[in-house]
Amino acid sequence: MRLRAGLFLACLAALPLAAGCGGKSEPVIKIGFSGPLTGDQAPLGEDMMHGAQLAIDQANARGEVIPGFKLQLAAMDDQRSPTQAVTVAKKLVSDPDIVAVIGHLNSNCTMPASAVYHQARILNISPASSNPQISRQGFDTFYRTSATDDMQGLGAANFAYNDLGARRVFILDDMTTYGRGFSTEVEGHLKRMGAEVIGHEGINQGDKDFVPLLTKIKSQNPDLLFFAGMFPEGALLIKQRSDIGLPANFMGGDGLFDPALIELAGGAPAEGAHLTTITTDISQIPTAKAFLEAYEARYGPVGAYSAYAYEAANIVIWAIQQAAKKDRAAVLAAMKEFKDFPGIFGPANFDQKGDPIGREIGIFTVENGKFKFVKTAAAH
Amino acid sequence: MTSLQVFIQQLANGLTLGSIYALIALGYTMVYGVIQLINFAHGEVFMVGAYATLMLVLLISPLGLPWWVALVVCALGAALVCGALGGLAEQFAYRPIRSAPRLNALITAIGLSFFLQNALMLIFGATDRQFPSVIPFVRWNVGGITLTLMQVIVWASSAALMAGLQALVMRTKLGKAMRATAQDRTACALLGIPVDRVIRLTFVIGSMLAAVGGMLFGMNYGTINFHDGYLTGMKAFTAAVLGGIGNIPGAMVGGLVLGLLEGLGAGYLSSQWKNVFTFLILVALLLFKPTGLLGERVAERA
Repeated sequence: MRLRAGLFLACLAALPLAAGCGGKSEPVIKIGFSGPLTGDQAPLGEDMMHGAQLAIDQANARGEVIPGFKLQLAAMDDQRSPTQAVTVAKKLVSDPDIVAVIGHLNSNCTMPASAVYHQARILNISPASSNPQISRQGFDTFYRTSATDDMQGLGAANFAYNDLGARRVFILDDMTTYGRGFSTEVEGHLKRMGAEVIGHEGINQGDKDFVPLLTKIKSQNPDLLFFAGMFPEGALLIKQRSDIGLPANFMGGDGLFDPALIELAGGAPAEGAHLTTITTDISQIPTAKAFLEAYEARYGPVGAYSAYAYEAANIVIWAIQQAAKKDRAAVLAAMKEFKDFPGIFGPANFDQKGDPIGREIGIFTVENGKFKFVKTAAAH
Repeated sequence: MTSLQVFIQQLANGLTLGSIYALIALGYTMVYGVIQLINFAHGEVFMVGAYATLMLVLLISPLGLPWWVALVVCALGAALVCGALGGLAEQFAYRPIRSAPRLNALITAIGLSFFLQNALMLIFGATDRQFPSVIPFVRWNVGGITLTLMQVIVWASSAALMAGLQALVMRTKLGKAMRATAQDRTACALLGIPVDRVIRLTFVIGSMLAAVGGMLFGMNYGTINFHDGYLTGMKAFTAAVLGGIGNIPGAMVGGLVLGLLEGLGAGYLSSQWKNVFTFLILVALLLFKPTGLLGERVAERA
């Protein structure tokens, strides 16, 4: 897809040359995009990019959003690194054709990048970053379509306490903005409900050997091991927990929601692992049917954040349409009028901070090597 | 589990990690002993070993060989690939600049490390790869301590390789030549010892040990990534320094001690700070005994 976009750009650049001085390239309005497109999280980032691309292509196919302009996606790789995210954000805001940015995936990337977008007065919608702190910075440029970790933390704690009957819980997180934020929410809610949190520790991203840590956890007899982090470490924890025979239930969050989790854990050890997602089973939502069909026909199965990126792109397109001109300030101002947008999860609304209203938390369990939707957990 | 059982379990865990560190540390220390080069590309050679094993496992798994045959085939195959790589690296990267200042060789080693790391990324991709183990999953409970067949194989194979290496260095003509080269290269050449060949064989043997380390690492932890060689290589290098760089038994002891420290640190203190504790102990040791646990000859040579 990036190759094709690159080819398209190359053709655009070559057009005036071929046609001589009289040639004119088609004017574009660009929507910026950034997420991890290389590295271990590349599958998640690409799924996001595909969602945004689909929305833009559909809008272009419907006709011109603003007369005389075509929409275009300008995607850049943040390598899931906060410093790279800031570099990318600065590049995106320096392109005058870009009127809004969709991104990023990781909360620790969105956090610093959102400040760059705020300074440049450009609309920024994250389809995946769930750390509550991001929207508490008070940036009127920031919105997100994904649920936040305070919602997810409550949903996860509800399921762990009521459905799994967890009373002795050991919590691990990967010490990232996302992992720490999410695990703190889970811990708070579990304690309030009356469960005992017997330990809360961090692990390093990229570590391989968790056996000593899991041995310690095993000796304390928890009935649930909760991990707030991403799937590469999640898979290792699941495998090594099974190697040493730690009988506790395993549960995690949306960072684990990738088929690679099951594959990397070696299949069988992942059976019965539970996770929360900031989405419900999207195939159950009638308003998402058209999106699902179009996405699957073009890219295959939807990823964790594809639908949120699609929704974010549609909101950006709506704002451009309302602004009716290629102007960052007008696009941003249009968001003030945003209300009851016909989104794929039903009518979409944002609260004062830019967080979505009425999101549901889904619970999935690994069964026969696949994620199976179990239920929607209460998160209000 | 009683606290004593937990402690013994943590010792066993640390021993597994330490055995792998020791296998890699040997390559650092052997090369340093012979030509005083810190071969920073060694961690990547270890990763090449892991990826070579992965390819072999995928290749031979349809044959349905008994698991121990498959394991030996994997070990030999990976050792062959890495041995060749080590020999080639010596021939084309290090030999041409052997008489140049030592810093040049060090920078070459770092460059080779980057080269190999990126080559692995281009060939195998940047995402984690699942590593299927050929060793069946067997778990025993010995007096409340959990042992797996995988762990026992890690211990046994690294112990056997280390004993073999010690015999090679102390009992064979090649070993004698290696020890002599380490002491005085010029005198060796004058006496008719093929110094170039001895140096190349040192690289080859060190790389073969790292290959087996890579195989055990992949099978034990279950996933590999192209950049795993960096941190693991750094730890193994630390183990070599801890034991006294240039000293072969020192690398073995250093590897085991480092593995135990890391295991106990993660198990009793805090998993998020385990690397900090490990390196703090290294700093403390080097302050009071700069030559490492078993090293004595390094200072006078430098």
